[in-house]
Amino acid sequence: MTASSPSGTETHGKSGLPLSRRRGRGLRTVALSVVAALALAACGTRPSESAAAGGDTGKPIVVGISLPLTGDFAQPGGEAKRGYEVWRDMVNAKGGIMGRKVELKITDDASNQDTVVADYTKLITQDKVDLLLGTFSSLLNYAASAVAEKNGMVFVEPAGGAPNMFERNFKYLFFAQPATAPHQADVFVNWIKSLPEADRPKTAAYPSQDDPFAKPVIESMQKQLEGLGVQTVYSEVYPADTTNFQTIASNLASKKPDLVAQGAVFEDGVGLVRGLKQLNFSPKMLFQTSAPSNAGQYSDGVGLANTEGVFYTVSWNEKATTPLNTDFVAAYKKAYNADPAEDAADAFAAAQVLQTATEKVGSIDQNKIRDWLHGNTVDTILGPLSWEATGEPKGQFLLAQWQSGKVEVVAPSDVATSTTVVNPKPAWK
Amino acid sequence: MTHLVQAIALGLLIGGVYALMASGLTLIFGVMRIINIAQGAFLILVAMLTWWLWHETGIDPILLSVVTTPLMFGFGWVAYRLLLSRIRGSSASMSVLLTFGFALVIEGVLNITAGNKFKSATPSYFEESFRVGAISLPKAQVFGFLAAMAVLAALYFVLTRTWTGRAIRAATQNPSGAALVGVGATGTAALAFAIGSATTGVGGSILSVLYPFFPASHYDWISRLLGIVVLGGMGSLPGALVGAGILGLAETLTATYGSLNWSTLVFYIVIMVVLLIRPQGLFGAKLREDTV
Amino acid sequence: MSRLRALPRAHLIAGLCLVALLLYPVVNPWQPYPQGVMLLAFLLAIQASSWNIVSGYAGYISLGHSMFLGLGSYTVGVLAVRFGVNPLWVAPLGGVTAVIIAVLIGSVVLRTRGHAFVIITIAMLLAAQIFAVNLKGITQGSDGITLELPFWDRDFQNIPFYYVYLILLVLTVLFSAWIRRTKFGTGLVAIREDEGKAASIGVNTTRFKIVAYAASSFFIGMAGGVYAYYLTFINPVGSFAILGSVTIVLATLTGGRGTLYGPVIGAFIVQVVSEAATVYGGGSQSRVLLFGLALMVVVLFLPKGLLPTIEAWWRRRHPEKVEYTDQAGALNRAPATTTERVRAELAAVNAEDAIAPGEILLDVRGVSKRFGGLTAVDNAGLTVRKGTITALIGPNGSGKTTLFNLISGGMAADSGEIWFDGRRIDGMRPWRRGHLGLGRTYQVTRLFKEMTVQENVVAPLPDSRWRTMFSDAVGGHEAARARELLDIVGLGRFANQPAGALSYGQQKLVELAQVLMLEPKLILLDEPAGGVNPSLLGQLTEVIRELNRSGVTFLIVEHNIPLVLDLCDPVVVFSHGAPIAEGPPERIRTDPLVLDAYLGDDWRPAEDGTADEGAGESDRAETATREAVQ
Repeated sequence: MTASSPSGTETHGKSGLPLSRRRGRGLRTVALSVVAALALAACGTRPSESAAAGGDTGKPIVVGISLPLTGDFAQPGGEAKRGYEVWRDMVNAKGGIMGRKVELKITDDASNQDTVVADYTKLITQDKVDLLLGTFSSLLNYAASAVAEKNGMVFVEPAGGAPNMFERNFKYLFFAQPATAPHQADVFVNWIKSLPEADRPKTAAYPSQDDPFAKPVIESMQKQLEGLGVQTVYSEVYPADTTNFQTIASNLASKKPDLVAQGAVFEDGVGLVRGLKQLNFSPKMLFQTSAPSNAGQYSDGVGLANTEGVFYTVSWNEKATTPLNTDFVAAYKKAYNADPAEDAADAFAAAQVLQTATEKVGSIDQNKIRDWLHGNTVDTILGPLSWEATGEPKGQFLLAQWQSGKVEVVAPSDVATSTTVVNPKPAWK
Repeated sequence: MTHLVQAIALGLLIGGVYALMASGLTLIFGVMRIINIAQGAFLILVAMLTWWLWHETGIDPILLSVVTTPLMFGFGWVAYRLLLSRIRGSSASMSVLLTFGFALVIEGVLNITAGNKFKSATPSYFEESFRVGAISLPKAQVFGFLAAMAVLAALYFVLTRTWTGRAIRAATQNPSGAALVGVGATGTAALAFAIGSATTGVGGSILSVLYPFFPASHYDWISRLLGIVVLGGMGSLPGALVGAGILGLAETLTATYGSLNWSTLVFYIVIMVVLLIRPQGLFGAKLREDTV
Repeated sequence: MSRLRALPRAHLIAGLCLVALLLYPVVNPWQPYPQGVMLLAFLLAIQASSWNIVSGYAGYISLGHSMFLGLGSYTVGVLAVRFGVNPLWVAPLGGVTAVIIAVLIGSVVLRTRGHAFVIITIAMLLAAQIFAVNLKGITQGSDGITLELPFWDRDFQNIPFYYVYLILLVLTVLFSAWIRRTKFGTGLVAIREDEGKAASIGVNTTRFKIVAYAASSFFIGMAGGVYAYYLTFINPVGSFAILGSVTIVLATLTGGRGTLYGPVIGAFIVQVVSEAATVYGGGSQSRVLLFGLALMVVVLFLPKGLLPTIEAWWRRRHPEKVEYTDQAGALNRAPATTTERVRAELAAVNAEDAIAPGEILLDVRGVSKRFGGLTAVDNAGLTVRKGTITALIGPNGSGKTTLFNLISGGMAADSGEIWFDGRRIDGMRPWRRGHLGLGRTYQVTRLFKEMTVQENVVAPLPDSRWRTMFSDAVGGHEAARARELLDIVGLGRFANQPAGALSYGQQKLVELAQVLMLEPKLILLDEPAGGVNPSLLGQLTEVIRELNRSGVTFLIVEHNIPLVLDLCDPVVVFSHGAPIAEGPPERIRTDPLVLDAYLGDDWRPAEDGTADEGAGESDRAETATREAVQ
């Protein structure tokens, strides 16, 4: 019970002088501090004017980024930070962009939408950074890209391939991965097409986590494979917090499909393999979206011997022969004494995109950079990237397979690291 | 038909484990009228610890509960003495807020120390199953169920056959009466909280094998456990057992015959229906708080 | 007093801050970042102030309140995408959805008292997320909903949001202040303080709680609609995040739960601190950990929150003279001037009655109540005739208080019927009985100690009309009537004291005044003389006689036998859960059965002093036994 006490009215003028004097002093203090605060903050220019400013050529180029370094997306956020930093060091070692050093201004958005909006607003309008790079996860990139769009800043995002992202007709948005989720499966479908009719799967099951990156992959794969005459015997979307895969596994075991294609983020991929193994049902082909790309964790989870023959699609591979890839891998290993993750590579590629465009147009004029990216192709460690007007990429993912405890790229053939494909998958061990 | 039997068997196995996990929560509520929101975080904490010990030593995760249970007993005792006893006598809402804060702290600490990754312990028997006719019972589930039943039986023995247990039950049923016959309230409360925490020592170890987990998983677990406790009747141990069985079955059957998407929702639907028809739960005495 | 004096000051400071906040974007328009930080603080303050209505005033903690923000966002998002309307124009519909859902959840969960609510609030937040994921046809599932960018020029990007949220915040605070001023608000605090007591003074606790829950959801839902437009993207995980609820709880607790400005102050502190942690903290620490620690520290060391703590400190430094804490002050206040008016009023009420004096007003027929093996009330029958002062005496543990509880509705009888004023009431909720004109006081007084004396007396509701519920509790006729009643019991001078500061005897008198607010036909007094000093006792009996003359019937449980014999007629003697004798006092005092069972052979009127004390002690024993039995 404090100021909420409602019985105030009748006491208003009750105690005359001392109170009003004391109150007067308090009020003066408040009023003064208010005026001071207002005066102090009164400065700044219109956002539209500041964004168009060219920038001083002597100073470093500042790239503003907000990343989820803590919270739910801390894992990919941390990898992205490494990817960006490796890029900065490599660029600065070669003299920077247009002769100017590159500086990164990275803030933590704690995996929170509010914070990511505030962060990018601050980076653009307060810190007046020269360039922007994107953050991780669609959840954050949706909100962040809208801030960039409002402020007319080019926004190259290393993640955030949910299809809705590109239905907004943003003009400054570019997704620096080879394909969006619905097109991730294309490379696998093409490989199936290349098989002789007899070797193709006859029946298929499609369990998928309800995840904006996993589900569209599996949905589009199901559609395409049905077009090829593969019969669907099971199709089910399970929630993200599913921890018990025995019911799915026993359903699959009873239907015995040739192909199990799972939209698996990570733990669900491991969980289903375990469930299938318990029931001793091993499909001829097993495809999982991104779970198997978590190299060590995945093989630990399912057992190294059981990884044999598992397919997945991925945007990047350590062994890929794309330009600068070996340099990136080496620099990363040197800096962090670990194998680079896909997320780090994606971030690196996003930075490459921005770098190339800036160098080509020879300025940090955002509209020029945007126009150049819409009309050209950029070579990155993920391969060549180009974009639709909506910022959606036009490329293709890599099809990878676990072989003898290692990951090999098996398609498309021009970047494949192995010519053999394990098919059918051996039984569980 | 086999499908149905399989689903029922799995549901009951899961229900047994749920029952153990919920027993600590309902015990703590019964004695202290405290809803320990941190109970889910305790489970995840133990699961993380078990995973780490298993990873380092290779000792069977479920056996490791021999280590984690006394640890959690001590942890619960200290937590009660340091935190909860300070707010004894203030309104029940304060204890909810305090344990909620405690859960967040545990989550935060796990985030920093263990990382925000899914983990899961995988002992050798992990992928094997017992086969009974046409149905298969995963060994991990069976072992988890057996361990849970053993602990519940032990708990039942302690509560009914020992003086300490009787003191706790007396305090549950009739706090002021218990005080009259010399059952000290604070001591009993600390003991009950410690025992309630100790159940997570086993529950968490089982969890580490049966379910992948990460620091923020505790929200799912606590809402599941609270659902069981509300269904069974808050403060009632038999209620927790029956409630867990029903919800385990409901979950598995919905997943098998309905959709996995909605199986989590079954918990909440059951809670709402129970509250609508029988607010005190299946085994709950009509709360005497209704009296003037 | 000082608290009241602080009130206008608080409003003045708040007004000044508002002017400054209104001017800020005008003075400094091209700064979207600080504006963005401020508008998020407004958003949090809107949520915290709203949460405060159900969890601060009424004391029912919701841990899933961010659900309403998500519901508002989704309502507006879905409408905007379906019909192409601008989200801002349909934002109020977000509030409507929130209210509908709150009423639905509330009417399931809030019918009973206790702990289910907090559990359900968490569960519903998670359930809302599941619905948002799975109702793909409406919500587009986990893909989320994408909204168009704001239509205004990008130079003004955050300014419109800033003002919308500022206006919403002002409305929320005004709404919260208005609620607190009404009898509805007083009833909510009464529920927080003592829900059983609140029900017995005519507060329809179920309705009050549901309305409070709904009221606490509207502005959040509306803010959620605007929020969707601000973010331009909503999805299930982001919209129904539990961390959002944590911030609401933390903000309100930090500022001061149950106060008007506390939640706003807390929201600004939490928002600014967490923004500073983002900018200067370098992302080394986990926000979950920080919030969790902050929550624990606040609960353990600052349970009342900043604002009340600072006010208490201020009051200690600037002590105010308290007028008339002595009883003499109270006693000097003669009630004579006001009784006439009240009598007329009561007479007017009574004129409507169908039952003439002398007829049966209360009829208890064969009622039993068992606690386990113990039968507290055993097939008891009792009638109270209109216009009487009926006494109910008997040894401790004979079931008198239990019978009172059965009549007032605090407990349900196992069998039997209770009729009041021609109606069967044993199935009615306590407040319905209060509305029919049945009031009671308690053996151990149960005033709402955090409220002022006047608020205590204003709190009861004589009927179930919404108009009464939302009538002004601070000014107006309700407050005037409360002061009048306080004057009747001679405590008018204490109107603005906290009830907890009064002496025990004074509290008994306030409790009587409280019951009178119900305009009762029958008042059940449970040991009115227990613990009351002789001078106040004289005043008490005078008030009872006065009221009885004006038409109020009394049923009194009392151990002070001289008082009973002097005041009451007839006298009913209770033993072992049932009446054993009934009659005029002179017959009862000589009845051998009564002497045997209760009064004892050596009972003499001269011993009343010691008898009184003994009774007080055994009261406590009886209370203890009763609780133990429960």
